[in-house]
Amino acid sequence: MNRVLLLSKTIGLSVGLMGFAAPTFSHHSFAVFDFRKIVTIEGTVAQFQWTNPHVVIWIDADAQNGDESKAWGIELTSPGNLTRAGWTKRSLSPGDRVSVTLSPLRSGNAGGAFRGATLLESGEDLTYDWARLAQVQDGSE
Amino acid sequence: MRTFVILLIWIVGFVDPTIVVAQVDAAPAAQAWTDLAKLPDWGGIWIPDVPDQRAQVLENTPRWTPSAAENISDMMAAAATGRPARLFNDCLPEGMPTWMLISHNAFEFLFTPGRVTMLGESDGNRLRRIHTDGRGHPEDPDLTYHGDSVGYWDSAALVVDTVGILPEVYIAVSEAVGLRNGGDMHIVERMHLAGPDTLHIELEITAPHVLSAPWKTTRIYERLRGAQFDIIEGVCLQGSFVDQVDEDGNAIVVPSMPE
Repeated sequence: MNRVLLLSKTIGLSVGLMGFAAPTFSHHSFAVFDFRKIVTIEGTVAQFQWTNPHVVIWIDADAQNGDESKAWGIELTSPGNLTRAGWTKRSLSPGDRVSVTLSPLRSGNAGGAFRGATLLESGEDLTYDWARLAQVQDGSE
Repeated sequence: MRTFVILLIWIVGFVDPTIVVAQVDAAPAAQAWTDLAKLPDWGGIWIPDVPDQRAQVLENTPRWTPSAAENISDMMAAAATGRPARLFNDCLPEGMPTWMLISHNAFEFLFTPGRVTMLGESDGNRLRRIHTDGRGHPEDPDLTYHGDSVGYWDSAALVVDTVGILPEVYIAVSEAVGLRNGGDMHIVERMHLAGPDTLHIELEITAPHVLSAPWKTTRIYERLRGAQFDIIEGVCLQGSFVDQVDEDGNAIVVPSMPE
């Protein structure tokens, strides 16, 4: 997902920026993610993009080891599937401090598929049951 | 009055055959609506059994022709290395049979006199009209993404016959693996409940340009009832645009950053 890398270089820390120029997360295969891996990042929600075909959480990850903060795009499923699982467009808001676990992009760019999240201030967990995509976890794709 | 109109049309057609006499479809009688209650209950929202979908990909592969199988093999290899083909990035409808084969999103049925309509979520173009009023296929149908579907009720099962699908529509086994059907595709389905809240759609797909033999596969769906599960609007292209505010304070959308 080269667009994600380009975005992180272009936008940087962009909380509350009007006209957030997000890359296209069009109707693509989840083969771009490595579901055998789990990565956890902490940061601040920049945007909770509640649109079809995939909802995306944009996070400004905390700087680590002297590296500067990086923008990550974490993908979920459609708003319809998330709504049926109890999510709403207000489940996350810009400024929320979160810890997110994800299966990373195989390309190594800053993005991944959502595996879980915790709101750091309230301790509330946000989950989505990927059991429907359980076969993906065996690395067969 | 209706009888008079029909008689008048018949007389006019008899007197001057060059006058085009249009078929006047009658409004359904009240009985046609109450007859719908005799059909099995397919209400609620149907969500696909995705683990079974994926098992089918591994265990029940289409009977691809040799050259088709080579292309499929290349696409699977590309997906395995994390560079999947992007078959549906353009947000054109998945169409038939792909919607039934690979969707991870819900759909619903509407029963009206002479018709079963399927409406899907997440891509506003998912709509199938299945005519159950006894009509056959047109002789030379305009080709479409979902084809021309006619069906009949065989006890509690709906048998559907579909032709007239555009040749560029995919037979896809995932969003990254599939081939355009090439034309002359014919799909027969048998839809029935396999449990109180389980629906099976048994498909037989004949596609002589890419399949060496008809391919049979079944897709499984589970039912949810309740307003909290209702299908919501889903516009596939929406993710390709971003909300912005112009200099006058008006809400606008602009394309997302291009690839």
